[in-house]
Amino acid sequence: MTILSQTALQEIDEIRQNYPTARAALLPALYVAQREFGWLSPEAYAAVSDLLGVPPAIARGVGTFYAMYKNKPMGRHVVQLCTNVSCMILGAEKLVDFLKNKYGLEPGGTTVDNRFSLVIMECIGACGTAPAMLVNDDFYENLTEKYIEEILGKYQ
Amino acid sequence: MITITINNKEIKLEKAVTVLEAARSAGIKIPTLCYHEQLEKYGGCRLCLVEVEKMPRLQTACTLMVTDGMIVRTETEAIADVRRGILEFLLINHPLDCPYCDKAGECELQDLVEKYGPTTGRFKEKKRKVTENLQDPVIVRNMERCVMCTRCTRMCEGVQGASAIGVVSRGGHSHVEPFSGNRYDCEYCGNCVSVCPVGAIMSRLHRHSYRPWQVKENIETVCPYCGVGCTVVAQVRDDVIKRLVPKIGSPVNNGMLCSRGRFGYEFVGHGDRLTTPLIRKNGVFEVATWEEAIGLVAQRLGEIKDKNGSGAVAGIASPRCTNEDNYVFQKFMRVTLGTNNIDSTARMGYAGAQSFIENIFGQGATGNIISGLSNSDAVLVVGGDPTTVNPILGLQIRACSRRGGSILTVGHLPGFQHFSPLELNPGLNHETQLFEHILEHIVGELVSRKVLPGSNPLLEAKIKTVQADVAEMMKEPAISEKDFAGFIEKLAGAATPAVVIGKELIQSSGGGYKLFLICAITYLINGRIYLLSDHANEQGVLDMGCAPDLLPGYRPLSYAEFRKRYETAWKTTLSDKPGLNIFEMIDAAGNGALKALYVMGENPVFNLPDAKTVEAALRKLEFLVVQDIFMTETAQQADVVLPALSWGEKYGTFTNMERRIQRVRKTVDREGMEDWRIIAEVSKHMSQRMQYADAGAVFEEITRVSPLHRDLTYDEIAEGHTIYPYKGEPLRGATAEIKIEKGSSYPDGPLLLGVARPLFHSGTLSRKSPALLKIYPEAVVRINPATAAPLSIADGDIVRVTSSAGSLELPAVIDKHVEKQVVLIPNIFEGKGALSLIAIALDPVLKAPVLDSTPVTLERVGKVSA
Repeated sequence: MTILSQTALQEIDEIRQNYPTARAALLPALYVAQREFGWLSPEAYAAVSDLLGVPPAIARGVGTFYAMYKNKPMGRHVVQLCTNVSCMILGAEKLVDFLKNKYGLEPGGTTVDNRFSLVIMECIGACGTAPAMLVNDDFYENLTEKYIEEILGKYQ
Repeated sequence: MITITINNKEIKLEKAVTVLEAARSAGIKIPTLCYHEQLEKYGGCRLCLVEVEKMPRLQTACTLMVTDGMIVRTETEAIADVRRGILEFLLINHPLDCPYCDKAGECELQDLVEKYGPTTGRFKEKKRKVTENLQDPVIVRNMERCVMCTRCTRMCEGVQGASAIGVVSRGGHSHVEPFSGNRYDCEYCGNCVSVCPVGAIMSRLHRHSYRPWQVKENIETVCPYCGVGCTVVAQVRDDVIKRLVPKIGSPVNNGMLCSRGRFGYEFVGHGDRLTTPLIRKNGVFEVATWEEAIGLVAQRLGEIKDKNGSGAVAGIASPRCTNEDNYVFQKFMRVTLGTNNIDSTARMGYAGAQSFIENIFGQGATGNIISGLSNSDAVLVVGGDPTTVNPILGLQIRACSRRGGSILTVGHLPGFQHFSPLELNPGLNHETQLFEHILEHIVGELVSRKVLPGSNPLLEAKIKTVQADVAEMMKEPAISEKDFAGFIEKLAGAATPAVVIGKELIQSSGGGYKLFLICAITYLINGRIYLLSDHANEQGVLDMGCAPDLLPGYRPLSYAEFRKRYETAWKTTLSDKPGLNIFEMIDAAGNGALKALYVMGENPVFNLPDAKTVEAALRKLEFLVVQDIFMTETAQQADVVLPALSWGEKYGTFTNMERRIQRVRKTVDREGMEDWRIIAEVSKHMSQRMQYADAGAVFEEITRVSPLHRDLTYDEIAEGHTIYPYKGEPLRGATAEIKIEKGSSYPDGPLLLGVARPLFHSGTLSRKSPALLKIYPEAVVRINPATAAPLSIADGDIVRVTSSAGSLELPAVIDKHVEKQVVLIPNIFEGKGALSLIAIALDPVLKAPVLDSTPVTLERVGKVSA
C-alpha cells in the first residue's frame, strides 16, 4: 500500500539500480516523490523509505537537511526568488515586497488561492543578470515588477 | 612499540590507538562531549582539541591516531581558551535550567562548563525555544538542551541498528527526532538515553523523583528477563529502584540494554504484589500467618505422601528463580518428599532441544559466548527473530553484518530487515524440505572439496539417510535458485559460522526432525550453536537438576554413579526411576494419579498450552501450593498461596544461555522470604532440616555436591567471568542413539495460530510493568493484509479467533510481516493468552509442545470506537 503512482514506483526502482546502496539512491528518490505531491509529507517519506528499505527517520533527516526538499504543502506553482548579494543590490528585496503587496505572497508562504508559494533561495548562479528566480523548473532573469507580473500570468 | 609523550609523560603503546585512548590509558583526562567509547568516532564537538608538536593546528584527540615520537600537550592556555569558546557557543542556546533538569549532577556539559567554561556569555540574542516533548509515554525529549553531539543517533543507527531517530533540519534548527516527530516507533532500548551527555533525552520513569547524588549505592545485578543475562546496575533511593542502567565493559551486554531490561523493573514494588500467605477456606482465600501456612503445607504434603506414596506428589520449579531457589526446591522434592517428579517450563522446548543437541555434540555444545557472534563471518538464524526474544544477542548478529558477515535467515525476520539478510522463505509447509535441501547441498559442496569432518560417525550415518524430498517444494517455488545458491555458498564457505536456533523451530510440527537437520548442517559446516532462551535462569533450572531425569550439575539420574554421589551428600536414597515431566504431571493430575503439586514461581495455567485442560487437571488435585510474587491464574486455583521475594529483593545466582554464572543482588528491602528459604522452612516442618544462613551458603553446597560446579566460590562469580565449563567436569560425547522422527505436514488451507513474541514483553513480570504496558498495552492479533481483506477486517477491528480449544476476542493489527497462513497472538496478557487456544500435542523426540499447527478461524465481531 503505497501512495506513490505506478510511474513513480518504476522510476524509483530504476534509480535504485544506478546506485550501490539504497541510501545513495535516497536523494533522487525523494525528488521523485516530491514531484508527485509538491512536497514531502510523512506518508511520502514512509513510502520512499519502504520502497528503498531505508529507515524512515533517516529519510526524513536527509529530506529536512536540504533546502530544495519542501517539508510543507506548496501551492500549485513554486516561486523561488534569490535575494543573495547581487540580486539584493539590484532590487530583489523590493520584488519581495511587490509579491507581498500584489499577490499576498509572503516569503515561506502560500497565496490564499493556493496558486503560488514563495521560497527565498540562495544564489542560483545568475549574478550577471540579477535579480533572478525560478518558477517551478523554469528560469527567469533581469526581473522587474512588470516582468514578474507578466511571468506569473502564465502560471494559473 | 610506539612511544609518545603526553604532557611530558612518556607512554608506551603496543598498538596504534587514538591520542585520546592513549591519554586515558595513562590516566590523563581530556575533556570530550561527542566521544563515547561504544560509538564510532565523530570529532564533532571539538572539546578534545590538543596541541601536537609539528602539526599546524590543534587536533581532535578522539580521531587522531598516535604515531611514534608524537609529542602532545592537552592543557595549555591556548587550548583552555578554545574550549571556553566552544562551551560559550554551546551555551548560546542551552537553557541553563540545571536546577530543574534531572541530568544535573551527572551532566557532562555542566561538568565541563564548571571546569573550563565562561562565567558569562556575550550573546544578547534570545535563546532558541523548543517545547519539551512529552508525547511519548517512556522517553522525554527536551531539544533545547541538545548539544548536537549525535551520540544518540550514532547509538541508534550504528550500535543498536534501529535507526529510529535522526537529526532533522539543519544548522541552528537541527534537533533529534523519531520519524513521527512525537511518539517513538522503535525498539525502546533506551540506549539513546544512556549515551545522552545532557538532559535532552531522558527516561520518564524516574522523572523529577531523585537526583543522581541521592543514589546511595550502584548495585550491580543481572537483568530478570531473558536468557542473555545482561549486567544491569540498579540505582535506588528510599527502597525504590529508580533506574536500571547498563555497565560499559560488562562481559555480556557491554553498555547495552533492551526495552525489557531498561524499563521493565517496576514490577518489583508493584501494588499487586502478594504480601501475606493465603489459605483457602470454604472456597475463599483468607489471610494467614507464615506459621499457619507453612504448617498446613507441611502437614498436607506429608499426609498425601504417606497415604498415596511419593509418586503422588510433584513440583514445578521456575526459570525465573535463582539457582539457589531451584536447587533447594529439587532437593526438597527428592529428599524430603522422595520423588523425582520435578520439572519446569524449560520443558516447553529449551530442555528437550538442549539434551538433543548435547546428545550429538556433547555437554556444553550450546554454551557459546554471545559476543562472539559479531566475529562470525556467517550466522544462520532459524526458528524466530532473536532481536525480539534475546535482543542483546540480536545486536551481536547485527554487528556481524556490519563487520561484513552474512546473516542467513530461514523465514522473514523483521529485526534484520535493514541488515541485508540472505533470506529463504519456504513457507510453513516446506521448511523441512528446505533444510533437507540445504543439507544435501552442503554435503555435496563438502564432498567436492573433500572436507567432510568424519569426527562423528553416529551423526554421519544418520545424515546419509536423509533424502531431500523437494519435488513438493519446487512446485510453487517460493525460493529462486539464485537465492538458494547464494545462501549455500555463504553457509558452506564460512570459516566461523554460527547457528542460532529459536523456539519457533523447536515448537513446530516435526521440530525434532528439523532440529536434527539443523544439527547436521551445523556439524558439516563446523558451526557454533546458540539456543535462544526466554527466561533469565532457564539454563540454571536445568543445571540445578529441576528435571525428572537430571540431578544437579546436569547429571543423568539413570547413572548409578551419580545417584550414589548425591545419596551420600544428601544422606538419602534416590529412586532411579525418572519422575513425571511437566506435561505428564498435568495428565496425572487429570486422571487422579497425582494428588499434590507444589508450584514455585510458575504459572502453568497460563504458560502451558490448553488452559482449560490444565485448569481442570489442577482442580482435581487434593492439594495445590503456589509460591509466587503475584496472584497468577494458577495461584487463584491454589489451596495455599505463599508470597515470595522477587528478583530485586534477594541474593542468588542466574546461569545464562552461554552458561555464565552471575550474581543477582538485593536492591531493595522487603519483608518476606526468598523462595529457597520458604521451601527450607516447609522442609523443617516435615522433619527434614535444611539449614542455610544465606544464598551464599546454598551456593556453597551446590559447589560441593555438583560435579559441574565443583570448587567455584561465591566471590569469584561476582566478577561475571565464570563461564562454562567452570572448574568441574562436563560430560562429553554422544551417548545415546540419535532419534529421528518426521513430523506430520501442516493442514493445507486453514489459518494456523502462531505465538507472537513481542520485544516488549515476557509475561508474568512484564505484564506488571507499567512502562512496558504503556509501550505495548494489550493483546492483539496480527494478520497479513491478504488474510484480512477477504474477511473485511481492518486495523483495529475486534476479531474473534476460534480454535478447537477455545476462542479469544482481540483487536486486529494488519501487518505485512506476518506470513499469509498465520495468525499471531502473544502469550502475555491475562485471559488473552495464545497458548489457551492450543491443545497439548508433544513432539515425539523433543517432548516439546507443538505450537504452530492449530487451525483457527477468524471472524470480525466489531469495531473499536475511536
